[in-house]
Amino acid sequence: MLRYLIPAVMLAAPAMAQDAPDFSATSEARSWNLAFEEPARFEAEVVDMLCEVAGDCDNACATGRQLGLLRAADGVLTYPNKNAQGIFTGAAVDLHPFCGMQVEVDGLLIDDDFVGAINVYLVQRIRTVGAEEWTRANGWTDNWAELNPEEAELDGRWYRNDPRVMAEINGEGYLGTGESWQEAWDLTR
Amino acid sequence: MRLGLTAAFALAASPLFAQGEEVTIRGEIIDTWCYFSGVMGGPEAVQGTSHHTCAIWCSAGGIPVGLLGDDGTVYMILSINGDDQSASGQTQLELASHEVTAQGRLFARDGLNYLVIDAVLEDHGITNINHVDFGVIPGFAIPNPEG
Repeated sequence: MLRYLIPAVMLAAPAMAQDAPDFSATSEARSWNLAFEEPARFEAEVVDMLCEVAGDCDNACATGRQLGLLRAADGVLTYPNKNAQGIFTGAAVDLHPFCGMQVEVDGLLIDDDFVGAINVYLVQRIRTVGAEEWTRANGWTDNWAELNPEEAELDGRWYRNDPRVMAEINGEGYLGTGESWQEAWDLTR
Repeated sequence: MRLGLTAAFALAASPLFAQGEEVTIRGEIIDTWCYFSGVMGGPEAVQGTSHHTCAIWCSAGGIPVGLLGDDGTVYMILSINGDDQSASGQTQLELASHEVTAQGRLFARDGLNYLVIDAVLEDHGITNINHVDFGVIPGFAIPNPEG
């Protein structure tokens, strides 16, 4: 049975036997100097990850669910973990207006077997297929400011003022194990 | 040959595949971007107490969280206890850096492992006390209390 099953699986997955398409040629993505980054520009459908992976589609594309990119050229599901903003911000807010649509994206693809990162993506710009104008994937902080107008007026970056973040830090401390602010500072100097 | 092909396609499209594999996994809830990208250093430094504040920031900021299993495998978490807010959600935020034993369904897709957590069987708290080795990552995570 196995001698038939193994070739059958190979026939069912022809992409496995071929080199992956080159998505870097037309990319204009900015390097982040990451060890395993590759510029990658490709067309894809923006999909709801829970729906696409696990078939849980009742709330597909709802706010707050992670979104993925189902690549047109080879059907590979890439996972945008990061948007184009400096640090700490994901890509779902920027992709959300495009959920269910065919888009073109440009960014950095991360493939690092050692840590298990395969088809992980940092999206820098998005546009619907055929559109002229790109949208920069840097909308997270503006969205946060709309949701947190009082905190957005305070000095400092969003992550120093976010009420949910501060509740966690005030509750468990900067190290998460109950030390006071001063104790955590002293322990890590 | 026809039987072999039928078996292969049936396997790929079977209800078992669609529903995922039932699993129970123990591991730490991590910030996947820092872990995967290496942007803040090696994988050992971007977990545990050393990285706790950053893990909170990244979870609140909508970066996907993962479960770093005891065997070193990363499972991308798509929902926890029916909470589908996997981008900035409160359930996952409160579990940042915690070691948990989770029961759920495992899916594999294009090189990544995905986990739908049906139940957190036990929250062991934060057990990876690695700031003694790495300090705090990133260094500015803890502001100077004296200003």
